[in-house]
Amino acid sequence: MSGAGEPGTPVLEVASYSLSYRTPSGPLEALKDVDLTVERGHTLGLVGESGSGKSSLAWSIMRYLPDNAVENDGRLSLLGEDLRACSPAEILEIRGSRIAMVFQDPGTSLNPTLRLGEQLAEVLMRHQGLTQQQAWAEGEAALARTGIARPADMMRRFPHEASGGEKQRVVIATAFACNPELIVFDEPTTALDTITAQQILELFGRLREETGVAALYISHDLGLVSRVAQDVAVINRGEIVESGPCAEVFRAPRRPYTRALLEAVPRPDQWLGTAPPDPAAPALLTAEGIRVEYGARSWLGRLLNPPAEAFLGAKDVGFAVRPGELLGIVGESGSGKSTMAKVLSGLQDFDGRVGFEGRGFQRRRAFDRAYRRAVQIVFQHPDASLNPRQRISEILSRPLKLYDIVPPERRAARVGELLEQVRLPADFAGRYPHQLSGGEKQRVAIARAFAAEPAVVICDEITAALDVSVQASVARLLVDLQRETGTACVFITHDLNLVRQLAHRIGVMNRGELVDMFDTAEADAPERHPYTRALLGAMPVPAAPETTDPLKERSLP
Amino acid sequence: MPEILRSPTGIAGAVLLSLVAVAVLAGSFVAPYDPQAFHPATRLTGPSAAHWLGTDQFGRDLLSRLLNGAPSTIGFGLGATLLGVGAGTVIGVIAGTAGGWVDSVIMRVLDGLLAVPELLFTLLIVTILGGGMGQAMLAVALAFTPGMARIARSSVLSIRTREYVLAAVARGEPGCYIVLREVLPNALGPIIVEATIRVSFAIMIGATLGFLGLGAQPPSTEWGLMVAEGRQFMFRNPWVVAVPGVAIALAALGFNLFGDALRDSLDPRRSVRG
Repeated sequence: MSGAGEPGTPVLEVASYSLSYRTPSGPLEALKDVDLTVERGHTLGLVGESGSGKSSLAWSIMRYLPDNAVENDGRLSLLGEDLRACSPAEILEIRGSRIAMVFQDPGTSLNPTLRLGEQLAEVLMRHQGLTQQQAWAEGEAALARTGIARPADMMRRFPHEASGGEKQRVVIATAFACNPELIVFDEPTTALDTITAQQILELFGRLREETGVAALYISHDLGLVSRVAQDVAVINRGEIVESGPCAEVFRAPRRPYTRALLEAVPRPDQWLGTAPPDPAAPALLTAEGIRVEYGARSWLGRLLNPPAEAFLGAKDVGFAVRPGELLGIVGESGSGKSTMAKVLSGLQDFDGRVGFEGRGFQRRRAFDRAYRRAVQIVFQHPDASLNPRQRISEILSRPLKLYDIVPPERRAARVGELLEQVRLPADFAGRYPHQLSGGEKQRVAIARAFAAEPAVVICDEITAALDVSVQASVARLLVDLQRETGTACVFITHDLNLVRQLAHRIGVMNRGELVDMFDTAEADAPERHPYTRALLGAMPVPAAPETTDPLKERSLP
Repeated sequence: MPEILRSPTGIAGAVLLSLVAVAVLAGSFVAPYDPQAFHPATRLTGPSAAHWLGTDQFGRDLLSRLLNGAPSTIGFGLGATLLGVGAGTVIGVIAGTAGGWVDSVIMRVLDGLLAVPELLFTLLIVTILGGGMGQAMLAVALAFTPGMARIARSSVLSIRTREYVLAAVARGEPGCYIVLREVLPNALGPIIVEATIRVSFAIMIGATLGFLGLGAQPPSTEWGLMVAEGRQFMFRNPWVVAVPGVAIALAALGFNLFGDALRDSLDPRRSVRG
């Protein structure tokens, strides 16, 4: 069906392709002179950070560009056929049947009002001219190939009745359904949990072997690309910086950008953290039997439907943070790790007891100003954690004023010191948050937390929304600040590799329970909880480039 | 705010609004005739060199009446909106920040009021309060309050869960600081835009009330009343109805377009970077 040919025939060829967007402030170059070839049976990994132009390229290949896009030059061809010369009607024929696409979030790429089967069968009816019954049968077979246990049952479900992994399997089955020549994967596992993502990757590998399809796999995650792709192209600011076989590029990167990117990938064997705290020291902050109930029901609800149970965000969670320690809390989405961050920072009602410096707090409203000053929080999204209508100076001077940390006339100077502490120029004080990049905003958020001179800082996924290279520098900054101030830290993350570089101890949460707690050095020990082992297994450590210069480590952007 | 003038809608809205503003501020001084003076010899004429927009059934100059009526017509729209938006915002912010049963009670009551069409609601209030400009303005303001409260509340709710607000709560900031400095400045955008658009509705409701004889009373030059008075002579001289009617439409359109453009430019990410 698909334009067969020998393995190695070029399926997609992108030759000196350039693209720019018209914006009110002049043209914005998104892609510059891009050259790529994806061969039959091969997977090309396209790696880049946010804003590098990797998604623009995906959309140009799909011929789905916004009105303000200007294609300047170059050629896009599918098996020698010029895609740019195709009429809109021809493109409609090509999409779905000869080029398919798998998007990042299966939660939004499926129509919530249609059954999964209808969405899968539609593609087959549209492109292969099957009748509804044939398409439905064919769809079941396609689902079975993706390893779904009861495909007939899954076909009749609506998207909200399937898990994220199951939905992504349906999307992948749809993409493979018409036996296309090329599939574009746009970060297909980013929205999934680690263990599910691992299964999806295995599925992808298996289906590719079976069908011999050519794939363009777009991702920001170098470790992941090294597992799925034979060839890799690194894109930065619209330009392909380096390309070649995966093994070669990752083992011996030729360009400084690739090297910096590779070195920024967290590797558990490279310890970044501070010296371990005294294990005999009394605990600074303790959580004892913390239980959080979401959707607590009114007396009427309980009366009408007594057996229904409330959803528990945390079940009897207990841990202790020692002075100067960095405690990692790891878990997948919905594991209750952010719930614990909210409990400790006084944003969530709870049952149980939070202890701090010998005092106990039984409920959220009991937290006083002294506690709130001593326990600060940094949030995940740098864009949302700073008030867009306040200047940086106002944002940073607020805790100074609220807790009366420095006299009023010293505040402006202190703001400058804080900015320098987080490696930002002092003149950022006059700027608004939207004039800063994501990494810079996160530094300001960290500075705001440290402005209160706290005893504990809770970091709730502070690196999750950042690019790999920025992520590494923010993690290093946090450790440096810890070293300078002796502040303890609760570092909440889903990235085990990252937390193993920073944390002295790691707690693992799953479905609201703390299932495991261990010293970082013992992460690989056999007595780990099965769930911890599953998490570790799903996140293989990427190989380090051969000639890593340890001196270069610390001079990343 | 030059950003607003970058879009065609913004330019159109701004031009219309500046015309309206000139009429409101200088209208009475530049009017060529006394708006109440009868000219029996030139009744119900179309546009001419002497009377640019024609005359009505008493031979009164329509241009002069239009200019003279601008302050009361536009003032009515602005005043009613300001009152309604003010009350609605206060109620909405209280409901949005308090949450729980306070929120439920306030919103259920407002939902009940929202079920009554705005014009009907206004008529009901005017019937109770009696006719006249002041009463009509109060009635329109009251009719606007539930809708504005709902918009203010939803805007507050979307801001209240932002991480910078959570950060302020975690810091232990006092409630009034959180509402006034963190939530309100960011929630104000949709409220202002909605208010601007609602000025146009207020002008039209005011005109409707004038038309029905429940707002301004003769010999006022309020535009709605002008339409009502000219209705009988509509077939002999369409200008009598068209002139104030088009004026109402243009003023309403001006506020509407301006409000639309304002929404885009109020986004801080767009207005500062340029």
